[in-house]
Formats: sequence, structure tokens, C-alpha cells
Amino acid sequence: MSIQEAWEFFRWSILAILVAGATLPVIGAWLFVRRTSFHGLALPQFAASGVAFGFMLLPWFVAQGMFGGLPLGEVASDTHTALNYHLSFAALGTFGGLSLLVLVGDRLGTEGARVAGAFAVASAITILCAHRSPLGEIFVHGILTGESLIVGIHEFETLAVVLLGGLGLLVWWHHDLVLVSMDSESAFVLGRPVKRIELLFMVVTGLSVSVGTMSVGPMILFGLLVLPPMGARPFARSMRGLLWKSAGLGTVGAILGLFAAFRLDLPPSPCVVATSAVCALPGWLFAGWRSSTRSS
Amino acid sequence: MADRAIAHLMDVRGAQLGYGAVPILRDLNLRIERGQRVAICGPNGAGKTTLFRGLLGSLSPSVGVIERLTDRMGYLPQSERLDPLFPLTALELVLQGAIPRLSGVRTFSNGEVSRAESLLSSLGLGGQERMLLSELSGGQRQRVLLARALLADPEILFLDEPTSGVDIEAARVIFEQVDELTKERGLAALTVTHHYDQLAAHVDSVWWITNGTVEVLDAKDFNPASLLGRRWSDVDSAGSEEVTR
Repeated sequence: MSIQEAWEFFRWSILAILVAGATLPVIGAWLFVRRTSFHGLALPQFAASGVAFGFMLLPWFVAQGMFGGLPLGEVASDTHTALNYHLSFAALGTFGGLSLLVLVGDRLGTEGARVAGAFAVASAITILCAHRSPLGEIFVHGILTGESLIVGIHEFETLAVVLLGGLGLLVWWHHDLVLVSMDSESAFVLGRPVKRIELLFMVVTGLSVSVGTMSVGPMILFGLLVLPPMGARPFARSMRGLLWKSAGLGTVGAILGLFAAFRLDLPPSPCVVATSAVCALPGWLFAGWRSSTRSS
Repeated sequence: MADRAIAHLMDVRGAQLGYGAVPILRDLNLRIERGQRVAICGPNGAGKTTLFRGLLGSLSPSVGVIERLTDRMGYLPQSERLDPLFPLTALELVLQGAIPRLSGVRTFSNGEVSRAESLLSSLGLGGQERMLLSELSGGQRQRVLLARALLADPEILFLDEPTSGVDIEAARVIFEQVDELTKERGLAALTVTHHYDQLAAHVDSVWWITNGTVEVLDAKDFNPASLLGRRWSDVDSAGSEEVTR
């Protein structure tokens, strides 16, 4: 498919992936320095399990007349109605999982083990709920992997508002968030609202993941939250530098991934993840080289 | 600016501190005065950190009152607690002390940046403003953290094991700087330490924590070895249960 044709047919999907490429790595960079990158894997999976759960319950809600008497098929194909419904369940899954991880705290093993366990459970719930969905497992699977390029203008607008709005909040609270993330005791002594800033970060992350899962799919989220910050960190000489470089790598990864997907007729989500990994490669090689020269 | 006529900055009256229903420290009656230099000492697990948290305000007393007559407090954490994964320069770290005074557009003023640079310079770190936290030695990090605490214009400075992972020269620079500020500005300094020998010449009194309470001693009379009838190093390495109960 030519780039012109792709733009004509999939304009909103392309724009959604580009916005995700520029913004999600910034949230990922915060997760990375806070040593919670595993959340970049677990949270989209929580959101996906919420969406699959919503699909399973959809016939019941239709039967209750919640969609103005529309039949199941029309509800599923009406992107506006379906988006709001699925978004609610994505948010339910994300914030439910996030709250669970926070509530469990340090009581169950290491952070990595807790998040890995949560990822396993959320994956199982996703598959089981999708299997029980009246619209079929393949339909749900297609939406969750983001292969179907079904982003419409309403979904794009929602994604852009949530991601860019969240980014704005992180920029506004940048200094406080750095201090709270690295030294909460000092932040408390300086009179900073530690709990409110932690809550703000959780809400921005949760909403971005919920909306991102419904628009571009969890696979792109996995890749963009985790890979660009890892590639950017070895070159970063300041926190702002890390955020800018992560956003830059994510944007380049998204552009190259979309280009490869359309030229080679491949699904876009795995292409974006693969190209993001290629973009992050110089950073990993540099980090490896630097660590070997330091130790020798 | 707080009224210099008020001699004391913090009053602890009949306070009890602990976690949940378990009291760690009881019957605390302490006062922090301007220009006072205090060492907080005691065996491992005696409750030094609990007292520190109570004074800082992150732990509320279950009984009694901790009255703060200033909200201008500075805190110097142990440098090992800062994660070098954060790509922060020395200057960025120091400027955190000025976060409560950020401008309307959430940026630091030129005046704050100049003050941060001169603080770094006064602590022997001139020219290293752009170095990353991960590139600084333990002693340099500790001095950067002291500069951050001082940029907050504190009236009380809390120092948590400032000599931990720091060479003798760096420890000397830190204590001399604090001494100067206690004399010039009436800064009160409270230091939790396991290495009293390094701090002995820089304190006026010692708060000795043992058996769940705090004994206030004059620094001139303080001899940790005689207090427990054993060498300080033995106290240092002993477990809390064995020594305090």
C-alpha cells in the first residue's frame, strides 16, 4: 500500500500512533526512573482484561436497554457508543489493577514478582473473557492487538486530549514529581504535597494506558512505554533531556514502524514495537560499551 | 523571616512515638533552640530514626505534643538513598531546595540559580554543577545534598548519618559549614550519627536514646563507652534487642 493510500484510509489511526509515539515514552521515562517499568507491561494488560470483561458483559447491558434499544451488532459497530463503553471498562481494569498493586505493597515478594504475577492473571482473564464474548475471540483479539486500524476521529480526539493533557500536567509538576519520586522524605520536609503528586502521576498513567489500550492497543503501549526510555537513558544528561530524548525516539520509532507496516503490508503494532527497539539499540550498545570500559 | 527573639524552634512535650499500637519512645520532653547543635546517638534499633521522623513531622505522636515554631526545615538524607538512575546534575539537585519558591511559570529564577551555584562553590564543588549524580563520589553527593538543604533557608537542619560513605575530609567540610551557619544565622542542627567521634567537636549536647526514652547530656560529659560499660564499637555492632532491653 502506498503512503498516500494509507493516509487516505487510516488517517486517524496514523495520527493516533504518532501522538502515542511522542507522549507515551515520556510517561514510560517516569516509570523507568522510578524503577516501575514493569507497570508499562502490567497496566495495558489490566486495561485489556477490563475491555475483554466488558465485551463478555455487553449482551447483558444491551438486554437492559442501556444503549437506547440498539441491537448488539449495531452497538459493537457504532464507534462512539462502543468507545465510551469500552473505555469505562479499560479504566476499570487499569485502576483496579493499579489499586491492587498499591494496596498489596511490599507484602508479597518483590516489585517485579508482584507485577509479573499480576500480568499473568490479567492475561488469563483477557483470554477467558474474550473466549466468552458473543462477538468472538478473534474480534476482541483484533481490537486488543491494534491490528485492525479502526481508530476514528472520536477515538483520536479522546486519545489526543488525554495524552497531551496528561503530558501538560507532568510538565507543570515536573520539579515536584522528580523530588517526590527520588526523595519523598525531603519532599515532605519542603512542604510538598507528596500524596497528591503521587496520586496525580497514578491518574495520568492510568488514564493514558486506558485510552491508549482502546485506541492503539496494548502491544504498542508495551513497546512505547518501555523501549524508548531504555534507549534514551544512557545519553541523558538531565531529567528533561531524558524526557525529550524518549519522546524523540518514540516518535521516530512510530514513524518508521508505520512506514514499514504499510510498505511491507504488516500489522502496524508489532512493526512500531520492532522499530522502537531498533531505535533504542544505540543506547543499549552505548550503555554496554561504557560499562565495559568502566570495569576494565 | 521568623522572630529571632523566640529562642526555641521546636518543643516536644510528653510525646510518645511508635508504629501502630507499639510505642518505641515514651515521655519525650525536648526543646530545640536557635544555634543549638545536637547529636542524636544510641544503639542500633533504639529509635533514632523514629525520633527523627517525629521531629520532621512524618510521624505523629500518639500521646503528647510536638510543637513546631518554624516551618523552615532542611533535611540531609543519607546519600546512598538517592537513586543514580535519575539523570540529575548537581545543580538540578541543589535547586530542588528552592521548589517551594518556584515562579508562576514553574521555573527557577536567575537569583535562585546563582545562589545554588555559589552554595556549591562554597562547599568545594565549584565547576561541577553539570556533573550527574551518578558521576559524583559519596562525599561530593553528600555536599550537594547539604547545599540543597541550605538553599531551602532552614532554621533547623536535620542531618541523617551525614558521614555515612563519606571520607574524613568531606565530613569535615560538612560539619564546618554547619558550624558557621549555627554561629552566623542561629541555625539549629540535629545530627543522627553512628560515628560520634567525627562529630564530637561540632556539637553542644547529645540526645542519648536508650530503653525507649531520650536522655539529654552535655557534649563535654558524654562518653558512650562509659554509658554502657563497653566500647562504642561494641555498641555499634550490637543488636537492638540485646542492648536496649
